[in-house]
Amino acid sequence: MNDNNAVRIALTKGRLEKDTVGLFEKMGYDVSELRDKGRRLILNIPGQNIEVVLAKAADVITYVELGACDMGVVGKDTILEHGGQYYEIADLGFGRCRFALAGKKGTDFYGGVGVKTVATKYPAVTRHFFESKRMDVDIVKIEGSVELAPLLKIADGIVDIVETGTTLKENGLEVIEDVVPISARLIVNTVSMKLKKDRIEALSDEMLKALDR
Amino acid sequence: MKKFDLITPEGTRDLIYGECAALRSVGEKLRKIFTGHGYSEVITPGLEFFDVFNSKTRHYSQQELYKLTDGKGRLVVMRPDSTLPIARLVGTRLSGSALPLKLFYNQTIYRANPKESGRDDEFFQSGIEIIGGDTMKADMEALSIAAEVMESFEEDDYRFEIGDSGFFTLLSAKLGLDEHELDELREYMLGKNYPALDGMLAKYSDNAYAAATGRLARLFGGREILGEAEKLLPEEARPMLERLGTVYDNLCAIGTGGKVTVDLGMVSKSQDYYTGIVFKGYIHGYGMPVLSGGRYDKVLADFGADIPATGFAVNENAVANALLKRSGGMLTPAPDVMIYSEAGSLTDAIKHCRSLIADGLTAEYADLSSAEEARKLAVTRGIKRLDIVAPDGITSEEL
Repeated sequence: MNDNNAVRIALTKGRLEKDTVGLFEKMGYDVSELRDKGRRLILNIPGQNIEVVLAKAADVITYVELGACDMGVVGKDTILEHGGQYYEIADLGFGRCRFALAGKKGTDFYGGVGVKTVATKYPAVTRHFFESKRMDVDIVKIEGSVELAPLLKIADGIVDIVETGTTLKENGLEVIEDVVPISARLIVNTVSMKLKKDRIEALSDEMLKALDR
Repeated sequence: MKKFDLITPEGTRDLIYGECAALRSVGEKLRKIFTGHGYSEVITPGLEFFDVFNSKTRHYSQQELYKLTDGKGRLVVMRPDSTLPIARLVGTRLSGSALPLKLFYNQTIYRANPKESGRDDEFFQSGIEIIGGDTMKADMEALSIAAEVMESFEEDDYRFEIGDSGFFTLLSAKLGLDEHELDELREYMLGKNYPALDGMLAKYSDNAYAAATGRLARLFGGREILGEAEKLLPEEARPMLERLGTVYDNLCAIGTGGKVTVDLGMVSKSQDYYTGIVFKGYIHGYGMPVLSGGRYDKVLADFGADIPATGFAVNENAVANALLKRSGGMLTPAPDVMIYSEAGSLTDAIKHCRSLIADGLTAEYADLSSAEEARKLAVTRGIKRLDIVAPDGITSEEL
């Protein structure tokens, strides 16, 4: 990508992809290829010199960090969990939810002096949260439905992404405390930001303006 | 028991053939530039006490380092950088040297990167340090040598970025932040995390310095940025802007114009490390700077020598990889001649080999038992000539 006008942007497959494509459409871009993509993973926006790469959330970060993509749209949840070196230049506002600590309804998570066990898909976020509270906790990494862990009595609580709280409620759990709010972010490779400044800033401004409409 | 006898640790690799040649050629280029400017080489130990890297002004966190203990149980680390060991050297064996002291190094460094990050844990780094001297002149010398280095890589599209860590220091000091908040702000500035910066600074909406801090992150680009900054930043930033403008113009005057950009939001990762002009060099195809440096006036004081200093380091592996990608080749050139000796001619063949080499050719002796095998190997290697040495003389074949 030596052409300073060409931009390659990685989108997190799924909801953030849909929201970003919607945003591109609002900006007047031809998104037909993005809508009718079949199984292709690299797509073009005709006339804009933009190449779109579809990837899993954590891979968006990897591609941007290593400079394979200039920019990326990824959730703050993934950013918090994975870290890395890149610029996080805009909060796109969509994909809004939050990380929360939840436990069985009616139990006192913070009660007692014993070390608590917390189940989560996001061990780094969980560790950071409890470090900031100066609490030692045992963290159990779960890959699927984290809500099961307290029900199966292997954890006192969970740290997970909460949108509406319906899943929690249906399983007899409740939010104990919010950890941090989440939304989609626009990230940029540190070198691309310098080599393609005008192009990237213009695209970012255009996206933010379209969001306000 | 699982044995790890066929792989290398993550972040390390074997370099072979063209990879070595590319790496060595980068090292040689840098050595030529540095010695040409009168710099003297130093080699510091690969192992150093942890304390060297845990000074007031530059603190490495434990998780970034490869650690072991010495025979007395003291914590030893594999050198994660060369500047601090050189600062130690200047504070001890080199104390009392005539200033400015001009040193260069070319050695491996070790960093424990987060797993699966795709970054090298071991790489060659070469750079210079100017200890003492007039600030403006030393800054300009370091910058011009750095520009020469970037130029020597023959990448047409490199960028050379300059800034001053003083802008952030000046503005953030006026916000009344505690140490923790200051670290947070520095992290946001470093990551050009505009939403987080704006969110954090919104609390100080009546403070003009807060607004200026927010703008600082966005003030990067060409020479025009300095003019913009003059309007946006408080009066106290004026001398730094003027200094940066002079540096910019000087760089243009020595022929680096068009490659130089400015980023006023450059900060040091470690609090108080850089104290003035800072700079970075980028090339296409590598997602991080390949060269970085700046003025570090407070570091030497931690080692008992209160002397201002500046310098920079180059990631040789990153540059070598870019060169290798561009040339597309992994192979080292094949020798000019392969030499095979018939029975009774071994010593003649060795002499023949030596005389060809003395004539400036490259010649490989075939340690094989038949001329046919030697012919086959020469073809596989891409060697164009086979000399067969026999008691009745030498016959040459073109292959």
